[in-house]
Amino acid sequence: MISFNNVSLIYPNSVKTIFENLTFTIDEGEMVLVIGATGSGKSSLLRLINGLVPHHTGGILAGDITVNGLSTTTTKPGGLAHLIGIVGQNPAHGFVTDTVEDELVFGMEALNFASEVMRKRVEEILDLLSLTHLRTRSISTLSGGEQQRVAIGSALVMHPKVLVLDEPTSALDPIAAEEVLSILHRLVHDLGLTVVISEHRLERVIGFADRIIAISSDGSAVIDLPEQILKDSPIAPPIVHLARALNLDSVGTSVREVRRMTTHLRDFTPLENIDREINEKIVVEVRKISHLYGGKTALRNISLDFRAGEITAIMGRNGAGKSTLFKSIVGYHSPSSGIVRVLGEDPIKLQGRVRLSRIGYIPQEPSDLLIHTSVAKECSASDRDNGLPEGATTEFLSRLLPTVSPDSHPRDLSEGQRLSLVLAIILCSAPDILIMDEPTRGLDYQAKSILVDTLISYARNLGKCVLLATHDVELVAEAADRVVFIADGDVVADGRTIDVLLSSPAFAPQVAKVMSPAPWLTVKQALKGISAATGEDSAQ
Amino acid sequence: MTKTFHPLTWWIGAAAIAIAVLLTENTIFNLLVVGGVSCLVYFINRKSIERTPWSGGLWFALKIAALIVAIRTFIGIAIGVPIPGTTIFELPILYLPEWMTGIRIGGAITQERLFFAVSEGVHIATLICIFAAATSLTSPHRLLRQMPIFIYEFGVALVITTSVLPQLVASASRIKTAQRMRGISRRGWSGVALALLEESLARSLDLAAAMDSRGYGFSRKRSRYKREAINFRDITFVCSAIVLIPTSLAVFT
Repeated sequence: MISFNNVSLIYPNSVKTIFENLTFTIDEGEMVLVIGATGSGKSSLLRLINGLVPHHTGGILAGDITVNGLSTTTTKPGGLAHLIGIVGQNPAHGFVTDTVEDELVFGMEALNFASEVMRKRVEEILDLLSLTHLRTRSISTLSGGEQQRVAIGSALVMHPKVLVLDEPTSALDPIAAEEVLSILHRLVHDLGLTVVISEHRLERVIGFADRIIAISSDGSAVIDLPEQILKDSPIAPPIVHLARALNLDSVGTSVREVRRMTTHLRDFTPLENIDREINEKIVVEVRKISHLYGGKTALRNISLDFRAGEITAIMGRNGAGKSTLFKSIVGYHSPSSGIVRVLGEDPIKLQGRVRLSRIGYIPQEPSDLLIHTSVAKECSASDRDNGLPEGATTEFLSRLLPTVSPDSHPRDLSEGQRLSLVLAIILCSAPDILIMDEPTRGLDYQAKSILVDTLISYARNLGKCVLLATHDVELVAEAADRVVFIADGDVVADGRTIDVLLSSPAFAPQVAKVMSPAPWLTVKQALKGISAATGEDSAQ
Repeated sequence: MTKTFHPLTWWIGAAAIAIAVLLTENTIFNLLVVGGVSCLVYFINRKSIERTPWSGGLWFALKIAALIVAIRTFIGIAIGVPIPGTTIFELPILYLPEWMTGIRIGGAITQERLFFAVSEGVHIATLICIFAAATSLTSPHRLLRQMPIFIYEFGVALVITTSVLPQLVASASRIKTAQRMRGISRRGWSGVALALLEESLARSLDLAAAMDSRGYGFSRKRSRYKREAINFRDITFVCSAIVLIPTSLAVFT
């Protein structure tokens, strides 16, 4: 269906080739996953398929790409619209019209489809993606998962043979992600659709992939079965790390497979995890706060304490009230009722340097805080703002990000690098409480592990309080001590990470599913747990 | 689901009412019209499920209208040609150089002058409100669908440009919020501008790529999904709006 013949790509004004001599074919009805570190060219590879690269972006392409016999060098993206549906990284950026129905027909109208055909297909797609009840809704009022489904629907309505998706679940919570992926899975099986998908969070998609294209940083790529690629790829989901750590004969891609392979490791009674001692110092005190937003209740009578040395993950659907809670804690607004105290003080009254040394806040788009033209300038501005000696931020940054050049523009950095820069700026003043909104969006495994290490050492060694709002279950499993689950402005669960995550299958991380009923969430915990338990067995 | 009106209904109706307003030049009639369309928009939008980013248009226009009346009134009484009549109060006169004779700043504020200034402000404001009401009731996108294809193609480009605007406002407020939550407050717009510029550029590139890969502009011909039907209600509304022109002329002049 798709074939790449000796494809090389170089962007204008760049010295590095993105791809060199890629040759592979993707067959009809295959679901292929593209993996690679950030900046390795996953998006470029996807956009090569329908010719957006180089027709839209510029660049020099050597070799030939054909899709269903049509070459992308001679056919423009518009000419492939009936053949290839493409869903971009952020579907909200690609919507052309106001309402769901109009959006679905946009492509068909542009290609002059007959109106009876359009009507039939719209109904078909609305049913297929269960969007019927949303047909007249304004797209801007839909949730992330619904928007993603509309974007997929408006691609599918053209009856394409190939569907290309760039990180379709990165903005979604685990349940919405599961829903989108199972729809894709069904399309592959029912319609024989060819799907090419890129994703950072492999744990979500790995079970669905028939083959994997792994792009390495030198521009070469291999395509093979998931088991082969994952055997020694540095980019791998936790389940594969577990299999490697346990020295299993082969790596499995589904929970079921690995569970079967590890039966012998589970026939003992695991020891209870020992609780870390709890620091009694309360940093943030939230007492009975309620908040109204335009007549809607965003928070309903919430009381929570956050302690020093503790990493708390706040989970819940988009719009559940996480951001409102954060706004109250940082003192952006005062809640309609109730009180918030940060180390005994009203956060609204904190100003200037005192504020920066108390509260560190990192928004969903860390780059919103970057306002200077080079990394060096950002760092020296941060020294001035925080009242630190010259060079303090730079030194902090060099520990997180040793390779970055001080002259580079913050906007040219990768997402992971930007986050590290913002982390350095915020953390060098050692705020008592660090708040991060959705920190792992767009991060690869490497950037994520730097983040996790930084957070854990910040909370444990310096005894600071860390709050994370996130959909990323694996991050929560790795880093958080405690999970607070918010739904519709209410706290529905609050407890140790292990208890909250294990109580719901949708939120259980892969390792926990494999090792159940043993209460281990991460590879590290499982290894420690197994060696402790087996050690004890042999001693008896 | 309640059946919606034909999109052209509101715009033809709005045009008819605007003509009536222009012909009568009567302040009381203007105020009645503003009140009338506000009620109409309020009751129709309250029932409808189809909320577009444009639905709040009238509310925004009412605020602008109030501002226009205020500014027009201030300028009208402070600067301009004196109108003789009953004096309400007097402002000190600011003397201008020789070559500006005929224009006066300050001086006697007469009832007539005040009334003239207010009614002119209301007049402009009314026209704005009428068309804002039409926008609130049907999104411009729906209106453009009714246009001949060659206008439509041009119009889509236009509408996309305009729909980027509300998104930009949203991004700007998101960035501002993020910076305020961090504790950066006094840097003003310079801090936002850079982030905003990058984002809007990325957004428009994304949008262009999306439209391109969905075949926009590829085919010479373009089809329409739905033709909107003209109902009895539409005809009634347009007719009554047209009847309003002679009626208002008879009653208010």
